[in-house]
Amino acid sequence: MTSTRILTRRRLGAAGPQHVPARRRRRTRGFVQVAGSVAADRLQLNAYAHAYLGLGAALVAVLFYLALAAQVTQSSYDITRLQDQQRQLIAEQDQLRYQEVTMHAPAQVQQSAAQSGMQRSAPVAYVPGQPIAIDLGAPAGASGTDAAPLWARYLAALVNKVGGTRDVMAAGK
Amino acid sequence: MVAALLAGTVWARLAYWQVLRHVQLSASAQAQYHELVPLPAQRGVIFDRNMTQLVVNTTVYSAYVSPDQVAPASRDTVASGLASVLGVDKAGVMQTLESGKKFAYILRRFSKAKADQLRALKLPGVGLEDESQRSYLPGIAAGSSLAANLLGFVTYDGQGQRGLEQYYQQELAGTPGYISSYRDLANREIVLGSHTHQDPVNGSDLVLSLDANVQYQAEQALADGVKKANAESGSVLIMDPTTGGIVAWADYPSYDANNFNHTDPSLFQDNVSSYLYEPGSVMKVVTLSGAINQGAITPSTVINDPGYLNVGGYRIADWDHRNHGNVTYQYVLDHSLNVGAMKAMLAEGHAACYSYLKGFGLTQPSGIDVAGETSVALPAQDQMSDSQYATTAFGQGIGVNMVQMLAAVNVVANGGRYAPPHVVERVGTTVNPLLLKQQRQVITPATAQQMTAMMEDVVQHGSGWTARVSGFALDEAGKTGTSQIPVNGQYTLDVWASYVGFLPANHPKFTMIVVMRKPHVPGSDRDWTLNDGYFTAAPVWQKIAQAMVVDWRITPE
Repeated sequence: MTSTRILTRRRLGAAGPQHVPARRRRRTRGFVQVAGSVAADRLQLNAYAHAYLGLGAALVAVLFYLALAAQVTQSSYDITRLQDQQRQLIAEQDQLRYQEVTMHAPAQVQQSAAQSGMQRSAPVAYVPGQPIAIDLGAPAGASGTDAAPLWARYLAALVNKVGGTRDVMAAGK
Repeated sequence: MVAALLAGTVWARLAYWQVLRHVQLSASAQAQYHELVPLPAQRGVIFDRNMTQLVVNTTVYSAYVSPDQVAPASRDTVASGLASVLGVDKAGVMQTLESGKKFAYILRRFSKAKADQLRALKLPGVGLEDESQRSYLPGIAAGSSLAANLLGFVTYDGQGQRGLEQYYQQELAGTPGYISSYRDLANREIVLGSHTHQDPVNGSDLVLSLDANVQYQAEQALADGVKKANAESGSVLIMDPTTGGIVAWADYPSYDANNFNHTDPSLFQDNVSSYLYEPGSVMKVVTLSGAINQGAITPSTVINDPGYLNVGGYRIADWDHRNHGNVTYQYVLDHSLNVGAMKAMLAEGHAACYSYLKGFGLTQPSGIDVAGETSVALPAQDQMSDSQYATTAFGQGIGVNMVQMLAAVNVVANGGRYAPPHVVERVGTTVNPLLLKQQRQVITPATAQQMTAMMEDVVQHGSGWTARVSGFALDEAGKTGTSQIPVNGQYTLDVWASYVGFLPANHPKFTMIVVMRKPHVPGSDRDWTLNDGYFTAAPVWQKIAQAMVVDWRITPE
């Protein structure tokens, strides 16, 4: 049986304007949920089994945390040990640097030199400068003469005339 | 009802511990596992002009023991181990171990070699603590370190004392950092735990104008000279004429800065900048330079020197009490005549004389960058009596330190300009601003040249003959000085003997002053002039200058 009120509603619904349904956000189920429900369906787990499973997961998480914390602490100790080693090496390096610097110290150099039979000697005198023959203060005289024989000069002039050569002047840019 | 009462009591107690005592308890807990570890900054090192390291930071160790952690059965083993490695008294260690204390030092600041030996023994309850220490270069003898009076030293708590270590404490020390971290039950640091970290800022290195080789030569020559002159002490100061940079700074007797805690504190006194003395005839260089620059005299001006002069009611005589007759100012300087110096001062006048004292830097501290400079300010110009001016003209009645006096004479060597004395050329990468400042002109270059020629003559014909350097006899300038030491207002027979000079005369490579305090040369009780500067200080000058000529490859012009 269908009531008149229902029929009326159906009529109105068919004749009335098309109702646009509100846009609903599509919710997808997560993989874990899907997998969980599928597994539950297949395994047919009861409530106790669910509790044990949760407890096991929590235990695994705790163990994982403890292992991680232990690893972190161990790393801390390793770093401390390495820092201590580094301090010792730096101390050794400083010691070596002091030895090196001391080896170059004037006191050590002098001592080593003395042991090798060397000693500092003061120069008795310096070589005195010889008086020079040229009078640098004298005024400049006439330019020097050409020492080439006369015949050679004439020959050169002739060759130049014929060959068309001339003195080359430097003409750099 | 009873249950409610009990529950109320428990709740009240819980509220007491959790709420009322919360702050106090959490602070106690923090104190147990939280630790603030200081990260010390590395102290800057000090180099000389050739980048020779003058001081090195090394690590030393202190051994401690926690007696409450040493089982009674192990005490003997621990005490034996500590005694054998560290050389401490075994009975004393046993006493410490039996005391039941929580912490006690066994030995402080020993070498790494001993620390390694101790570490290898793995003694229960014994620990090592590392600390930084300054190590200085060895000096001329076992009981001294190089340039100890200039460098100073650093105490165990990291505070620079004396010299450069004190003056540049802030720059050298840097800023320490810290780590705020957590510790486990075994007191081991949990590095990866929650912690805050502030890196230390290391101190800056210093580069000095000092030359370690010259310093060593100076210390050696000075020690020989002081012993030979049977003097109480002596000092040498060498300067670069153009920059004012200190090349050597030597005191004798000195000390070992590596062993400062076992040193007589009187040896820490630096006599170069902290000791005032009357410079004597060395001052005539300043007086005559001023008078020449003022146009009041020339080197060839002739004066009459009867051997004494009455000034301000006092009769002031020459050192030899002789009538010298008519002499030139060149002769006055050659033979160090007080009457001539006083007449030069009178010729230029008190006002000019005072202004030149000021110009040459003798009325104020030199401002050298070494801790503990001492100086005495001159009275105001109008408050100085005639006799004070007169004695000042030849270097008595005026107290100066060696840095002031050398910087004053260096004006002549530096073409009439005052080069501010300093030791540090660079702090880190920053150049000392003094080096960039323009130097003030005190006298004209012509006056400086005239005075140089007069000082050359002192070496060639006057009292400076004992300072002649082989090959440079015609090319060095100098002046001797001897002044009596006043005690309770009366001059005694004890003297300060000095010699100042530069070389080569016309283009000097260095200016040097040597001061001997209370020399007692054998035979000086009969002839007191044997204690003079020419006999005690000038030979030391000559020896150092000769070494410098070789080291610095200086040739005559």
